[in-house]
Amino acid sequence: MTEITIAWLSLPFFVGFVIYLFPKLDRILALSIAVISAAYATQIFVEELVLNIQLVDNFGVTLTVDQLSGFFILTNALVTAAVIIYCWQTGKTAFFYMQLIILHGSVNATFICADFISLYVALEVISIASFLLIAYPRTDRSIWVGLRYLFTSNVAMLFYLVGAVLVYQAHNSFSYAGLRGSPSEAVALIFLGLLVKGGIFVSGLWLPLTHSESESPVSAVLSGVVVKAGVFPLVRCALILEEIDPIVRLFGVITAVLGVGFAVFEKDSKRMLAFHTVSQLGFVLAAPMVGGFYALTHGLVKSALFLITGVLPSRDFKQLQHQPMDTKIWLALAIASFSISGFPLLSGFGAKVLTSKNLLPWQVIGMNLAALGTAISFAKFIFLPHQKLAGNGDQMIKLDEKTGEQGDEGKKIQPGFWWAMVILLGGLVGANVFYYQAYSLQNTIKPLATIALGWAAYLAVFKKLVIKIPRDLELFDHLMGVMSLMLILLFWIVWTQTQYLT
Amino acid sequence: MTVLEAFVFATVLCGFFGIIFKQNLVMKIISMDIMSTGVIAYYILVASRTGLFTPIVGNKNNVAYADPVPQAVILTAIVIGFSIQALMLVGVMKLAKNNPTLEIKAIEKNNMS
Repeated sequence: MTEITIAWLSLPFFVGFVIYLFPKLDRILALSIAVISAAYATQIFVEELVLNIQLVDNFGVTLTVDQLSGFFILTNALVTAAVIIYCWQTGKTAFFYMQLIILHGSVNATFICADFISLYVALEVISIASFLLIAYPRTDRSIWVGLRYLFTSNVAMLFYLVGAVLVYQAHNSFSYAGLRGSPSEAVALIFLGLLVKGGIFVSGLWLPLTHSESESPVSAVLSGVVVKAGVFPLVRCALILEEIDPIVRLFGVITAVLGVGFAVFEKDSKRMLAFHTVSQLGFVLAAPMVGGFYALTHGLVKSALFLITGVLPSRDFKQLQHQPMDTKIWLALAIASFSISGFPLLSGFGAKVLTSKNLLPWQVIGMNLAALGTAISFAKFIFLPHQKLAGNGDQMIKLDEKTGEQGDEGKKIQPGFWWAMVILLGGLVGANVFYYQAYSLQNTIKPLATIALGWAAYLAVFKKLVIKIPRDLELFDHLMGVMSLMLILLFWIVWTQTQYLT
Repeated sequence: MTVLEAFVFATVLCGFFGIIFKQNLVMKIISMDIMSTGVIAYYILVASRTGLFTPIVGNKNNVAYADPVPQAVILTAIVIGFSIQALMLVGVMKLAKNNPTLEIKAIEKNNMS
């Protein structure tokens, strides 16, 4: 299995460059990589594999493959496949598919590596590949959004590097386990890097603009899997070291609440989804033990939703309320929204139940609040008007005026869109097998009550509410400044935590 | 050693404050480079904890070798850092056409909503 793992890990990078040499085969090669990753993830679950690989020598690369990585790899494979199929007929160049596959490969690498330097390399490759994908339309706006992303993540990674060398100084090794016994500042610096990269709490406020201003398929990949590359190492560290666990859980709760706090008031559909991604990452962190399953369901739902917003007539909720959409699109939208609100029959329900069972008592209030906020924000989608349009699915779609996507979706909904929905929404139903024990009467009542309460709150209050949250915090200088504040906060948290333990 | 460490961190902080306080995008990128210079210097400093000799096998025994691992690691980081910088500068060149001053406030005003 070691050889297979290494071959699977390096294949995307190899194929990525091959795609550029044979541009005609781009989509087929790209899709086959996604299929291979899905097969590999299935193999992990079938064999119940736990694999530790130490390459080269003592100071070489260490990899760890287990069920937790399996969930993340499966998410990555399904989302990438759906996005490739979605783009099948949009005339994207080989360059796009090349970057997509290299991104896929480097995200996979973060899900199995077990030392800080391999992680650093993988995260930086992710930054570069995502920048190229975001800037693919070559408009000024997209280049600026990409540049802002690259800058923020590179500065965060510089802090991370300082943390990594402090760990090395303490243990003569870069492995994750070395966090134990490292000085507090090392933990704080490494966490700052990962929090920024993963879009957690206030250091994740770069995320809404980046994810909402990219093209829909790119947003789907970014929101579905790429942010999880920053979250996964946090989850892994929390599982290896119990001292870290409370810190990660704490960030989970505050992120979940902060994210929905913004999402509830947002009037733009793509921005709402992006803020909601922030909050869902909090759910993944809040119960690290079962974070993998939550990440899977969230990745599928969020990429489906981003792809759907790409074919909606407008981005603005106000306009959508006056402009009915096709019932078929609404159906897909409703299924995804139901899953993320935790409605039974879809795996979002299982994930919510599993997460809430693994919460500590002090987390419960915050997480319930966040779940309620989720139901409120997705009521915005569910209660949109819809009607059966003549010439089903052939209606005109206005171009996204903000991102200036030149004919990104074409003028009609491509059949690729529906196939992508089949993969993602089918995956949502299929993922129920991972936790079918959730279906008991007792478990069903709470999510249903949450949804009912959320809808009531939406119809009574939030639908008419007009509050505009200022976007000052998302300005570039503030993003940088917040990093220094977060560093102080993190240092303080880690320092008190270690004082308390010893 | 402690003095050197202080200087290294001063470099990192200088770079970071430059990123925050400089208005021009190119200056921000240069500040980022200064910050990464500081980080690289810190790796070299950590490597030289055990000695200053180049770690090459020779006929002398028991000399105080420098630690090769951080050096090897930071070599990777240098390469990644400069490729990212090159990419950023290309992006800045493109932006400069419509935002000739490259002031960050003007760019954000033009490109955010």
